[in-house]
Amino acid sequence: MSEKLLNDDIVQQLKDVFQQLQNPVEVLFFGSKKDCEYCDDTRQLAEEVVATSDKLHMQVYDIDEHAEIARQYHVDKVPGLVLAARDGDRIIDYGVRFAGIPSGHEFSSLVHDLVLVSGRDSGLSPQTRSFLADLKEPVLLQVFVTPT
Amino acid sequence: MVQAEMVEAMEFQELSYRHHVSGVPQTTINDGAAHVVGAVPEGNLLAEIMKVVSKKKSK
Repeated sequence: MSEKLLNDDIVQQLKDVFQQLQNPVEVLFFGSKKDCEYCDDTRQLAEEVVATSDKLHMQVYDIDEHAEIARQYHVDKVPGLVLAARDGDRIIDYGVRFAGIPSGHEFSSLVHDLVLVSGRDSGLSPQTRSFLADLKEPVLLQVFVTPT
Repeated sequence: MVQAEMVEAMEFQELSYRHHVSGVPQTTINDGAAHVVGAVPEGNLLAEIMKVVSKKKSK
């Protein structure tokens, strides 16, 4: 596993993009020892991404051993990544997560989401915000994607 | 109140199958209450969410 997933070029690009990171971001990785084809790669990928900026931090969990934490962050699939804000010792969950490896096209979604979470601003329109602010029941959006 | 989950369709085929994912991206709202295919503008997605939420309220 010593071979890097990200080459020097990508690492440099990430460092450039992550210049815009404003606040610390905590990436929570959830893996499993059982039947998880992409857990190791996803963890390594996340670790390499997090290593490119001192504003990015990471915690590693096992969905079975840390079932309570997984539930708290609504993680029910592995590999799972939660992108949360970090404020001192506090983790603020914005409900943003990835199920499956964020490779290919989804790698840019991951990078973009890290920047968004770091800015602590959804970028949504005032209308959307006012509707969502009045929500009385949970809304789950699952965006199905393929990496290619 | 809002959770957003990116689901890699190839890795979670059973879930994709259950939600009839045939093209990506597909956004499934509240476990199948509504589906939006394609990368639609924010307003369109919001309209679908509103439908799901109001449907539930009128029950």
